[in-house]
Amino acid sequence: MNYILSRNDIPKVLEMWSKTHQVFAPQKYSNFSAFLPYEGKAEQLCLEYPHNTRYPPKALFLPQSEELLSYTKDGQASEPALDAKPKLIFGIHACDTRAMTLLDTVFDAKDYQDPFWKARRESTAIITLGCDEPCSTCFCTTVEGGPFNRQGADIIMTDIGESFHLEALTPKGENLCKDLPYASAAEDRKVSNVQEKATSDMPKAFDTEGLKTALDANFDSSYWEEVQRSCLGCGVCTFLCPTCFCFDIADEAARSKRYRNWDTCMFSVYSREASGHNPRPSRKERTRQRLMHKYSYWVDQIGKIGCTGCGRCVRYCPVGLDIRAMLREAGKLPVEVIHA
Amino acid sequence: MPNQQVSPYTPIPMHLLRSYPESVDGALRSIELSFDNPADCRTFYEAYDPGQFCQISIFGKGESAIGVASAAWEGDFVRFTVQRMGVVTTALHQMQVGDALGIRGPLGNGFPLNEWKGKDLIFIGGGSAFSTLYATVLHITGSSLKKEFGRISVIYGTRSSGHALYKESLKRWHENHEIDLFQTIDNPEPNWPYMVGFVPDAVRAVKPSPNNAVAIVCGPPIMTKFTLPILEDLGFKPEAVYTSLEKRMKCGIGKCGRCNIGPKYVCKDGPVFSLAELHTLPNEL
Repeated sequence: MNYILSRNDIPKVLEMWSKTHQVFAPQKYSNFSAFLPYEGKAEQLCLEYPHNTRYPPKALFLPQSEELLSYTKDGQASEPALDAKPKLIFGIHACDTRAMTLLDTVFDAKDYQDPFWKARRESTAIITLGCDEPCSTCFCTTVEGGPFNRQGADIIMTDIGESFHLEALTPKGENLCKDLPYASAAEDRKVSNVQEKATSDMPKAFDTEGLKTALDANFDSSYWEEVQRSCLGCGVCTFLCPTCFCFDIADEAARSKRYRNWDTCMFSVYSREASGHNPRPSRKERTRQRLMHKYSYWVDQIGKIGCTGCGRCVRYCPVGLDIRAMLREAGKLPVEVIHA
Repeated sequence: MPNQQVSPYTPIPMHLLRSYPESVDGALRSIELSFDNPADCRTFYEAYDPGQFCQISIFGKGESAIGVASAAWEGDFVRFTVQRMGVVTTALHQMQVGDALGIRGPLGNGFPLNEWKGKDLIFIGGGSAFSTLYATVLHITGSSLKKEFGRISVIYGTRSSGHALYKESLKRWHENHEIDLFQTIDNPEPNWPYMVGFVPDAVRAVKPSPNNAVAIVCGPPIMTKFTLPILEDLGFKPEAVYTSLEKRMKCGIGKCGRCNIGPKYVCKDGPVFSLAELHTLPNEL
């Protein structure tokens, strides 16, 4: 069913949802924005920002630093309690919601499941806020998504002016909307206009047709040497990326705990072996790994590109490297040479 | 219940049963670990295939991925042969009998023994990478499995006789001919009765037949690099040559990202790959 949430009612409705859920909403924080617990400070909300929160909401499921276990002196391990509290993410953009469904294929795989990820996913409802004005760094429509993509959402929310239009997509979503007024037929009509316009306004950022073939054929190409020249290897593209999931595992002896922390393929130590050998010794191999993972290896593994076009890596790269330009160039490379 | 055991990141509690040096220089030690909870031992070996590895965990130090070097029939313990390299492996070398530690595993795919049934097996090993080959030979020869395979040969090279692992088993195999063991050392030593020279040359000299045979190559990269062309010259097809790879690993279950070669994770899609499979993957060893 479709419902209406008037702009003025947002604080009230968030309060209402807070009675049954821990509510996370996009909020200003210091000099950036992130999905933070909503504590009644409506003035901090940044639903109107066209671009994504700088800090990616994947952290709500895969925290930047997370305890895996604690241990005693005699070697007894205890696992932290699973987070099964009902949670609600309000106002997350479609690219970030869709990223969770891609990451599910990693953390909720057939062979091994990650209980910490799974518990948070199962206890969280997601209200996607579609983007009526996608910004210049966005390219979701190029990579199998869209500003109103519904994958992973319990409710899809559309800004129709005075109010937001909410379409409940799952029983979880319906349940959240039960105290809201129904949308009128006229309001429903506004939605398709907004959604279609936003989608058709987005230019194609690069051609994905044949891109994987070109990447695979050019693994040993000098292209990688050229493309990485200005890269600082800071890793911000991967830390802020909603589909990057790599982590390190480290013990903190002072706290008697074992943690996992976000890690990045852009750092040398990431793949350096105990012998000193490193299969990715320079930024050339590491840049190649980042792009190949998203645009070739994900496709091999699950048949989908592992990028949702959120644009964070474009927006926040300190030297202005643009993955779209890199892929446009890669797509033009010759494909005759297939690596042995 | 202190341990909920729902997480694949929680190690099975173990303690050190035995620890002994393998190589003369002390760089390699075998450690044998027993299970705090005896039922875990059965579960472990029921799930185990030779060629698999574990993450050995010491709380406060970390984890290290090491191949299993024992067979189920040997007893209620798991053996690992550990080269002293970093923080965890140094701590493993220094552990005392009874000390607590843990393992996660068995991890990885292991050798496809079912596909190899009825064939001759030629194990080619060098240095410390011999451990999982040794475990595989023990697994086969110590059980009724042996009659399901053809001839079992081992070509094993080390820097010197003192650097060889599992010296008692090697001695036994030399004496009882349970398997065809060809042992080689890099440089001549007085009274050394076996071969002298590098592993690739030993393979050329032994000249194993590729007919209905599988070659399994595990050793330092340089040994593997020069052995593969010789196997090809002898007529071994890429589908009949297997190797076990190593990479920096953390989770061991295909989540943490770092051990990929193209779309394959060495930790869960490997560590065992046929040469034919490796040919389909990017050259990023």
